[in-house]
Amino acid sequence: MTEAAKYQNRIELLQGTLDMLVLQALLREPMHGYAIAQVIRSRSGEVLTVETGSLYPALHRLERQKWVKSEWKLTESKQRAKYYQLTALGKKQLTSDHQRWLQLVRAIGAVMDPEVQQ
Amino acid sequence: MTRWPWERAKENLSEELESHLTIAIGDRVARGEDPAQARAAALRELGNLPLIEDVTRERWGWIWLENLLHDTRYALRQLHRTPAFTVTALLTLAFGIGANLGVFQLLYAVILAELPVPHPEEVVRIHAARSPFDQSWTISYPAYQRLRAATPDIPLMATAYAQDATLELPNRASIEASIAPVSGNYFSGLGIAPAAGRLFVQADERMGQSEWPAVLRYDFARNTFGSAQQAVNQHIILNGRAFIVIGVAHRRFLGDITGRAPDIWLPLSLQSTGAFAFSWDSLGPGHDVSLGKPWYNQPTIFWLSLTARIPPERRAAVLAHWDQVFRNDRELMTEATADPAVKAALLRVKTGVAPLSENGMRKRFATPLTLLMALSASIFLVGCLNLANLQLARLHARAHELSVRIALGASSGRLIRQIVLEDALLVASGSVCAFVLGRAASGILVRWASDRNALFTFDLHPNLPLAAFGVGLMFVSLLSFSILPAVIFIRTGAAQSAGSRAKVAGIAQTAGQRLRSNVLLGMQVSLSLLLSTMSGCFAATLVHWETVDVGMDREHVLNVRPELRQPRYTNHAEMLPGLYTRIQERLQALPGVRSAAVEMCGGIHCGWITALYVHGRNDLTDAQVHGQEDHVGLGFFSTLGIPILRGRDFSSIDTVNTQPVAIISHTYARQLFGDADPIGQFVGYEPAPNDHKFLIVGEVADARVNGAQREAPAVVYMDINQNPAPVNSIRVRAVGDPGQLSDSVRHALYEVDPALPVSEIVPLAIELNGDLGMEKLLARLAGIYASLTLLLVAIGFYGVMSSRTTRRKKEFGVRLALGATRRHIQMLIVGQTARILLAGVLPGAVLSIFAVRIASHLLYGSVSANSLAILAASFVLALAGSIATLIPARRAAFADPLETLRNE
Repeated sequence: MTEAAKYQNRIELLQGTLDMLVLQALLREPMHGYAIAQVIRSRSGEVLTVETGSLYPALHRLERQKWVKSEWKLTESKQRAKYYQLTALGKKQLTSDHQRWLQLVRAIGAVMDPEVQQ
Repeated sequence: MTRWPWERAKENLSEELESHLTIAIGDRVARGEDPAQARAAALRELGNLPLIEDVTRERWGWIWLENLLHDTRYALRQLHRTPAFTVTALLTLAFGIGANLGVFQLLYAVILAELPVPHPEEVVRIHAARSPFDQSWTISYPAYQRLRAATPDIPLMATAYAQDATLELPNRASIEASIAPVSGNYFSGLGIAPAAGRLFVQADERMGQSEWPAVLRYDFARNTFGSAQQAVNQHIILNGRAFIVIGVAHRRFLGDITGRAPDIWLPLSLQSTGAFAFSWDSLGPGHDVSLGKPWYNQPTIFWLSLTARIPPERRAAVLAHWDQVFRNDRELMTEATADPAVKAALLRVKTGVAPLSENGMRKRFATPLTLLMALSASIFLVGCLNLANLQLARLHARAHELSVRIALGASSGRLIRQIVLEDALLVASGSVCAFVLGRAASGILVRWASDRNALFTFDLHPNLPLAAFGVGLMFVSLLSFSILPAVIFIRTGAAQSAGSRAKVAGIAQTAGQRLRSNVLLGMQVSLSLLLSTMSGCFAATLVHWETVDVGMDREHVLNVRPELRQPRYTNHAEMLPGLYTRIQERLQALPGVRSAAVEMCGGIHCGWITALYVHGRNDLTDAQVHGQEDHVGLGFFSTLGIPILRGRDFSSIDTVNTQPVAIISHTYARQLFGDADPIGQFVGYEPAPNDHKFLIVGEVADARVNGAQREAPAVVYMDINQNPAPVNSIRVRAVGDPGQLSDSVRHALYEVDPALPVSEIVPLAIELNGDLGMEKLLARLAGIYASLTLLLVAIGFYGVMSSRTTRRKKEFGVRLALGATRRHIQMLIVGQTARILLAGVLPGAVLSIFAVRIASHLLYGSVSANSLAILAASFVLALAGSIATLIPARRAAFADPLETLRNE
């Protein structure tokens, strides 16, 4: 298996969730790629690290699906960077992804901890 | 500077990742890390940058396009690196596909194309009855009117045949235009739309118009007036009569007879003007026929061919009805014969239909064109085989590169794709050339096939079947010379050869691979032999027809066509014998002229059919009495070189006031009298009591007056001085080349009568050979094909043998070092060629014999000439193959063995 295939597999595994995490990170304000990775890492308590090799393909895919849009802006330290911004379509997608995620968590929880439910 | 959008996007992505890295480093430095360490850590965190770019780019969804572009660029580079192969392949494809397209277009136009009208299957020819003498399916105008009136809802169109007319335009030289007289419902019945103006309506058939309506053919209108629109309302003069162009027919409509496109359509009623020469038949002399008066009310002049549009389901009923209506005319037609069997047979005939496609054109050209198609297909095949072989050799040469690429992880699919893409580029550009070439070729073919005596016009517009055929050929060529070799090569050869030093050099060509290329070469040899043989046979046929004994002195006779059909001659026929004598005497006084004579017929294909009844015999059948008639002047037979077998020639003692005399040809004499002496017998145009008008005074040998390819007909010659009429030709027999006499003859005629126009002066040989369009086409094309395949075979041998000798260089070096002579080495290589040649020639010869058999009715060279053709073709092939092999063989033999071995 080539390295490219490995990357792709990881993307495959993370796909649904990574998209949701990225969209969620962008909910409040536009961000560049590095910031998105940092936000996800810090909010997850350093548990989730998003690899660059997964992040950018995901960002470009989201952009192609018109869930985010991008523009080049200057950062606070006057560095040119590409900022991603959630679109209306992206917001809708995030809502439904979130819903589904909650459903999934609840369902898995019910399976793993039946007593609590009853 | 403009760049491709994907290049911009790619840079954009690099910049984005770059900025990511910069920010990450900045972040780490801000947290207090050492800048150098921060950079290394950030890089580590980032991972494999190009790979990330690759994977990210794939998300864009058009990476395949980029790959394709890459492959294309790579392919172009490869093609550029092997210019010899590229050029050979391009030319082979262009000629191979082009020739096929050209011939196919012709084949399609002649044989397959339907009339460009709605529901062409409904349009049929109506065969009511054959005319008594010409045996053409023509009827009289009154009969046509009756049939048309009987079925008002069925469009029944009539057409007549008329000779070309002289078209005069203001401020321009007059030209000959072919004309087609048609009934008023012709265009509406067929369903033809005008390209400009309007087409005929019933009112256009009105008699006695001061300015007649005319409809032009689209291309003729464009060539004459610039455009269809501009042609409308133009005033033109045809044979001295005024016409106005009322419209131009649809662009694709070229008339209803394949190949014979009229320039101008005219109303039938125009016949009444008498200004145009119509073809006609009648019941013969003695019946009520006044050719000088209008024909529309004469039931005994047969001049109209019928075409109708009948839905298939109504056909039977309509025909039965017409049969009833036509009964009286059919009975009238039987009066032309005294033969009771023929009379009965005529009455038994039922009105029938025939498809429009059933015409002489298709009958004449179907076989030659199919044959040409087969020959074209073979040359295409040879081309593909040749390319396949070159391709295999080329792949072997690239084995090293390909195997390294496979080793580096290139998928074999991608490799095949790249090779095929390379060839697809070749095929695509070759095909573009082929389409251009094919278009030009079909035009040239039509010109070649058109003989002097008949010009063809076909619809050669590109059409869907042609395009489909072309694309089909493209795929076949791509499959055979690219996809199959590539697949075979990749799947069997290259992968295994990777790694081994010896194998990388390509020495090990397996026995299977050698066999494959040998078989391909052998097949080329076979097909090439076939084509060369056919070319030889067609050339022999052409020579046969050009030299066959026609019973006339074909090499020394000149045919001069004077225009005597003018009132100043026709109204004073009694003066004509004097004029003929003056012309003859003046011409015979010219140096280089042996004799001169006048003749009613204007040349070959005169086709003036008559009947002769013998006095005192009433047992003669129609087959016996029918023959051809010609009126000739004094000295005609000696001028043409037709020997007098019995009796005497016409002489000056035969005049208007003496007994009318006739001379008959040998065949006619046999027909009428068997072996008995015809001299002194009386004959007439009609059965008793009018069967003794002419006294037969002579019998002459047969001559092929209807062309070299037709049997000599039975001919009766009458003395033109006893029945003075304008002649259509003056024959001059020269001592040497008749063509050189043209100017002096023209000048002499001017001296005799300055007002006598001469339309054409042409040697008899050219006139006779003018019929040989198809034979010339076959001979020329087969010749071209044969030389092309020969060239291909030579290229094939050269290509294969040189790649083989290069591969065996080391072996030869060792052999030479061990004491083999250079001659040995050469013989080794030439021997291989010889074996392949032999293996190809044998099946090729069998194939050729088979093909010659199939085409035997087109071939008139003798059997020995045909077998000679096979032998000669084999010899030429062997020579070409050997020469092509000798070049690499010499190169191999004269290579320095030390140099070769040192390179190892």
